Amino acid sequence: MDTIQRTTTADVGGPAQALTNKLSMRQRFWRTLRKNYLLYLILLPGLLHLVIFKWAPLGGLVIAFQNFSPFQGVFGSQWVGFEQFTKFLHDPAIPHLLANTLLLAFFTLLFSFPAPIIFALFLNEVRNRYVRKSVQTFSFLPYFVSSAVVVSILYTLVSPQGGLVNEALGFFGIKPIFFMAEPGWFRPLYVLINVWQTFGYGTIIYIAAMTTIDPALYEAAEIDGAGRWKKMWNITLPSISNMMIVMFILNIGQILSVDLDKVLLMYGPSVYETADVIQTYVYRQAFAPHGFPNYSYGAAVGLIQAVLALVMVVGANRAAKKFSDSRLF
Amino acid sequence: MGTTTKIRRRPEAFNIVNGAILLLIAVACIYPFIYIASVSVSDGPYVASSQVYLLPKGLNFETYRYIFTNPRLGIVQGVLNSVFYTVVGTFVAVILTYCTAYVLSRKKFRGRHFIMMAFLASWIFEAGIIPNYIINDRLGLVNSRWVMILPGAISTFLLIVTRAYLESIPDELEESASIDGANDFQIMWKIYLPLAVPVLATTGIFYAVTIWNSFLIPLIYLQDKSLQPIQLVLYNLLINQDPHSTSLENLTLHGHQILPQNIQAATMILAIVPILFFYPFAQRYFTKGITIGALKG
Repeated sequence: MDTIQRTTTADVGGPAQALTNKLSMRQRFWRTLRKNYLLYLILLPGLLHLVIFKWAPLGGLVIAFQNFSPFQGVFGSQWVGFEQFTKFLHDPAIPHLLANTLLLAFFTLLFSFPAPIIFALFLNEVRNRYVRKSVQTFSFLPYFVSSAVVVSILYTLVSPQGGLVNEALGFFGIKPIFFMAEPGWFRPLYVLINVWQTFGYGTIIYIAAMTTIDPALYEAAEIDGAGRWKKMWNITLPSISNMMIVMFILNIGQILSVDLDKVLLMYGPSVYETADVIQTYVYRQAFAPHGFPNYSYGAAVGLIQAVLALVMVVGANRAAKKFSDSRLF
Repeated sequence: MGTTTKIRRRPEAFNIVNGAILLLIAVACIYPFIYIASVSVSDGPYVASSQVYLLPKGLNFETYRYIFTNPRLGIVQGVLNSVFYTVVGTFVAVILTYCTAYVLSRKKFRGRHFIMMAFLASWIFEAGIIPNYIINDRLGLVNSRWVMILPGAISTFLLIVTRAYLESIPDELEESASIDGANDFQIMWKIYLPLAVPVLATTGIFYAVTIWNSFLIPLIYLQDKSLQPIQLVLYNLLINQDPHSTSLENLTLHGHQILPQNIQAATMILAIVPILFFYPFAQRYFTKGITIGALKG
């Protein structure tokens, strides 16, 4: 059967191949187009989406080299070359914003990265299926809820007027603290809710990696007299190390992009000192300016950040490829 | 003998302590929601004097009745807007992503690698919020419902996930259907679509949660109060509190006092509950999506 089929394909393929070779490029193009026109039609909406919503904004980046005015449009605005970038280099706000961005990203990574690993390691030790299942179900819930709701809950809990946290502090004789208005509290609170929101999601990844561990490894270790800690340290942890490296590298790649939604929800002028980051600065240039919106300058700062982020992501991807067979793209 | 009991007993103690700590963490994950839910159905004075911390005190549903009978608060409108955006947006996004991924997974389709690279490039190098705004403004998406539906209709990440899934379906299926006289559209719709249901569920949940929870897009584009989703309504009600909007006052209804805190808590609940219907499916399919996304890419 197999041989018959193969010969038929060869018979049909032979002359057809010869025929196509004779046809010119243009004819061949129209032939494939006519043959696959439905495929092109199905792709058309997706292609339009790519061009309009993904590539056109990249073209819109040219405003970083202009003095863009919404009334004159992209084509009518005045070209200024690298003026916006020179302005960036001399902007006294930038070093502080950069430091804020990196510090916030650093503390987020410091706590949000290990949290799901530790949690997954201990969850993996739970033998009772119901405890395991319910713990996992509940810990995943915060990931599902919007930042707007999470920050609203935070506001309610730490409110100086009757918020539970301040009530509890009052019980110990501590005066109410206006957490959301004190610069010193911004980073701890941001990191806290970030860990709270994401550790359940991260746990899923590590638990999935742990289920692939061969049980024979544990049995052999038990025979050798290994205890629970030894097994966790010497079997479970090394088995997920690849996944840990990949996750760590992906996190490093994203270190320049903080969660803009969350920062916008949490910050205000009273905490700009610690909370104002590059992305919020860009946002304010266009959407909450003091005077006229400065689209061009915002776009220039955004462009510089995007280039730096690109370098980070590509570098991270290279590293991920080196350490394991998994990669981002 | 002594050693055996030691070995046997130690893990048990560990199990109890470990289980207890993990359950405590689980409680920390849901406690805030329980607290907010309790505040939303408690009587005002108990809330004001911080007597509500776990279960509701002075149980009543007047706050919800008040919200649903007073459209001027904009909360009901916000929920309806969010439901509309989520349902329509998810539908459009799932179909568009599926169709695009289908074509890009066909081996006979030339240029699929090139187009895939074009998607990936726009993913790793993002233009940023301002150039996006310039384009979307040109397209008339400022203060338009479409801004919640169209720009996010293809997520490159979910396109990759869908394409990887479709590529795992054997090509023979397409070949034999094609021999039977089915055209590309029929093959995509009648043969591959039923097989792709698991991946469509995964992408659908991702899109639904993203749209329901989205905040930055409506914040930038939807100034018109009648178009704002519930997340933005909540922000204006609790965090932003701009002086122009109708401020909440203490009021008494059917013998129950309703404070701004009650209304804020009820709004949070309304911003969570509708999307929770997806939660049971989400766990299963999120895991699938995450593993495909993390491993295959």
